Amino acid sequence: METKLKPDFLNEVASIPACDKINECIQCGVCSGSCTTAEHWEYPPRKIIAMIRAGMKDEVLNSSSIWYCVSCYLCTARCPRDIKPANIMHALEAIALKENYKPPTKTTTMYRSFARSIEQNGRIYEFGFMLEYFLKTNPFAALKMLPMAFSLLTHKRMPLLPKAVEGRHELNRMFRNIATGGYR
Amino acid sequence: MEPKIGVYVCHCGSNIAGIVDVEKVAEFAKTLPAVVVARDYKFMCSDPGQDLIKNDIREKGVNRVVVASCSPQMHEPTFRRAVQEAGLNPYYFEMANIREHCSWVTENPKEATEKAKALVSAAVRRVFYHQPLESKEMPVHPATMVVGGGIAGIQAALEIANSGHKVYLVEREPSIGGHMMQLDKTFPTLDCSACILTPKMSMVGAHPDIELLTYSEVDYVSGYVGNFRVKIRKKARYVDDTKCNGCGTCMTKCPVKVDSEFDERLSKRKAIYTPFAQAVPNVTVIDREHCTYFLKGKCRACEKFCERNAVDFQQEDQILDIEVGNIILTTGYQLFDPTPLKEYGYGRLDNVITSLEFERMVNSAGPTTGHILLKNGQEPKSIALIHCVGSRDEKYHTYCSRVCCMYAMKFAHLLKEHVHGAEVYEFYIDIRSFGKGYEEFYNRVQREGTVFFRGRPGEVTDVALTPEEKGKLIVQFEDTLVGKQRRLPVEMVVLCSGLEAHKDALDVAHTFNISIGKDHFFTEKHPKLDPVATMTDGIFIAGCCQGPKDIPDTVAQASAAAARVLALIDKGKVEIEADTAFIDEAKCSGCRVCNLLCPYSAITFIEKDKVSRVNEALCKGCGTCVAGCPSGAITHRHFTNEQINAELEGILV
Repeated sequence: METKLKPDFLNEVASIPACDKINECIQCGVCSGSCTTAEHWEYPPRKIIAMIRAGMKDEVLNSSSIWYCVSCYLCTARCPRDIKPANIMHALEAIALKENYKPPTKTTTMYRSFARSIEQNGRIYEFGFMLEYFLKTNPFAALKMLPMAFSLLTHKRMPLLPKAVEGRHELNRMFRNIATGGYR
Repeated sequence: MEPKIGVYVCHCGSNIAGIVDVEKVAEFAKTLPAVVVARDYKFMCSDPGQDLIKNDIREKGVNRVVVASCSPQMHEPTFRRAVQEAGLNPYYFEMANIREHCSWVTENPKEATEKAKALVSAAVRRVFYHQPLESKEMPVHPATMVVGGGIAGIQAALEIANSGHKVYLVEREPSIGGHMMQLDKTFPTLDCSACILTPKMSMVGAHPDIELLTYSEVDYVSGYVGNFRVKIRKKARYVDDTKCNGCGTCMTKCPVKVDSEFDERLSKRKAIYTPFAQAVPNVTVIDREHCTYFLKGKCRACEKFCERNAVDFQQEDQILDIEVGNIILTTGYQLFDPTPLKEYGYGRLDNVITSLEFERMVNSAGPTTGHILLKNGQEPKSIALIHCVGSRDEKYHTYCSRVCCMYAMKFAHLLKEHVHGAEVYEFYIDIRSFGKGYEEFYNRVQREGTVFFRGRPGEVTDVALTPEEKGKLIVQFEDTLVGKQRRLPVEMVVLCSGLEAHKDALDVAHTFNISIGKDHFFTEKHPKLDPVATMTDGIFIAGCCQGPKDIPDTVAQASAAAARVLALIDKGKVEIEADTAFIDEAKCSGCRVCNLLCPYSAITFIEKDKVSRVNEALCKGCGTCVAGCPSGAITHRHFTNEQINAELEGILV
C-alpha cells in the first residue's frame, strides 16, 4: 500500500532529545543483527531508521515492529554511532499512541493496563492488571494462564487484592508532570 | 623616521566581505593616528594585492604596514616578503586576523564590522612601535635521523643515503622490517611482501651512509632545525654485533621457549633469537626477561656453543650522542586489539583470530607453513571475515582505518587459493576500495565466488540453535540488503581490526616536541599542503604514525619527507626567527629562574658575569622567561611591553 511520504518525520524524531543522533546512522545493521526479537519484526530496527529518514511515517507507526522491542538494549550497547535505537523505538511508540495510530498489536493494551495499575496503586497489581488486559483483548486466552495463576496464588506470589503504596497521589503528580502523556 | 602607516583590508572573496563591511573598516582606519593610506581589496595575498602595498611604500612613503585578513599562519610570510621587496624591514608589518577571529565566527554583520575595526585599531597602534629586526641564518647539519625501521623508515633512509648524506636509522626492535615483514601478500597486485621488502632491508644493512641502530630508542632530543642533538639508548643485546655472524647455533642450543612476537604468538622462539630468518642485522639478541641465566644465574649454553665468542652477558645499555640536522619519524602503528568487543568472542572462542594472526598463518614462512588451520589442526571449510572491527566505531576509533577492506578482500582471495572449496563470507558496512587497481581487485574477488553480506554482525557465538550450527561458530547478522536477520555457521572468523596509534605515541610526541591528534596520530603541519612536516621545524613524519595508510601511500610519504630533508641539506642553512628574548644584563640579578623555566634550554647562566644569557639560535620566542623574570630584565623582541600595551589600548578604545 503506497501512502504519502512525510519528509518532516525525520525532524520530528530527531528533535526528541534521546533520538538526536538518528541522522548519524550508517545503516550498518548491527542493531538488527543483535536484536533478540528480530524474527518477529516486519521491519528490522535498522530499516525502521531508514524508513524514518525516508519519511515513511504511516508505514512505521502502523506496523507492529517497534512494539516488539523488549528493551534489552543490545542494539544500543553495540551501535558504532551511538544512535541508541532502543530509545528511538520507545519514542516512536509514544508518537504512535499520541497520534492515534492503530498498530496491529496487543502491546498497546498491555501498556495501558500496566500504566493504569501503577496509577491506581503506585505499584504493579498483577491480578488486576492481567485481568484488565485479558478482558480487553481475548478473555479466553486467560484460561491458558490459569495454572500459572494458581501456582502464584498458592506460593503467595500474587495477592488477590491490591495494596497501594503510601503517597501514590504524589507519585501520580510526578507522572503528570513528566507529561509525555503517551500512555492514555 | 616618523611612522606612516598603510592599512589594507582584504575581502578574501566573500569569506570576510560577506559579513564584515570592509569599506567601512578601511574608512575607519583612515581616521586612526599616523595612518596615511587605507584601502580594501578582493584578495590581498594575490600579486595585484601585494603590489598595492609595494606601490604605497614607494610612492606614498608608507613605512609601516597593517594587513587585515586571515590568520598569520599562512600569509604572514607572504606580506613580510612583499614589505621587504619594497625596501622596508619585514618586521614593520602587522597582521590583523579578521577572518578566523572575526568573520568566520561572528554571525551579526554589524558586530563583525565593529570587531574588525577594533582588531585593525589594535594592529595600527601596535605597528607604530615596531622595531626593525634581523633574522639570523644557521647552518644545517647534513646528517639525518630516521626513527622507526618499517617500510617508511627504510624508504626515507635509502632516499637520503642514496644522495650521499649520512643517515642514522633507529629501530626499537632487534631487526628492521616492521609490520610489512609480517604480511604475506600485498593488495592489489599480490606481490609477496617479504620478497619486495627484504632487498631494501639488505640495502639498508649494507649502505655505507646508513648507520643502523637496532634495539635502540631515542631518549632525549634538544636543539632546533638544522642542529639537533640526540641521545640514543642502544639497549644491551648481550651479543657483540661486531662478532656475531648470525649462524644461529645459539638459537638451536638455547633451552628456553617463548611465544614469538613476530608470529603473533602462534609459534615459539628461543630466549636468544632473531625475530625472523631474514633479520637485518642478522645478529641475535638475548631476551633478558626469559633467559635462564638472567633468571637463575646459570645455563650460558649459548655462550658455550658460540664459536666466535660473541655472547657477552656483561654488556650494558650504551648512550650515543649524535648531531643531526633533520629528523624523520616513521614510528608506525599497532593493530587494534579486539578483546574489548566481547560480542565477537576474541580470546574466548577458539578459531576467532585477528588479521595479523591470519597473515602469519597464510605466510609460507609462518608458523603453519602457509596452511590455514583450525585449533584442531583441520582446514576450515567456511570462513567469515568481519570488517570495521574497532574502526568506524564511537566506542573505539571513529576513523576509517583505510586498509581493512582491501586486506580483507586479499584474505578472501588467498583463502580461495589455499583452501580448496572454501566458502568465504565478507561482512562489511561499506567497501572502500579507493586506490589504483583496488576496485578491480574487489571485482576479481567477487568473481572468485566470495559472498559479500552488507551488515555488521551483532555477535559471534558458539551456542547452537539448530543441529547444523553444532560445533560451529555462528555469525548473527542482518543482511541489510534483504532486511532479514540471519545466523550463518562457519568454522573460522577473522576479525579485520583497524590500525591504531602506538600506545607510546604520546611519549614520542613529547620527546620530539610535536603535536598529536586526539586519536594519537601525529599531526602534520597542514593536512593538504604540508602533509609530512610537523609544527616543529626540521621534524618530519611519514607512514602510519601520521594516520592509517597502505604501503603505496606510506612509501610515497617517506619519499616526500626525504625530499623535504634533502632540500634543507642542499640549501645548507636555515633562517631563525628574529623575535627572540634578550636579557638586559644591567637589570639581571642572576637568580636563574629563567634558566629553569625555558622549555628549550636556551638560557644559560654565565658564571663569570653572574648574569643569564639567551642563546638566540635555541630561543623559540615563547615568552615564558619574560613573564617569569622577577626583575623584569627580559624583553621579548617584537612583543615588547610598549607594543603589547598599544595593542590592548587599540582594542579597548
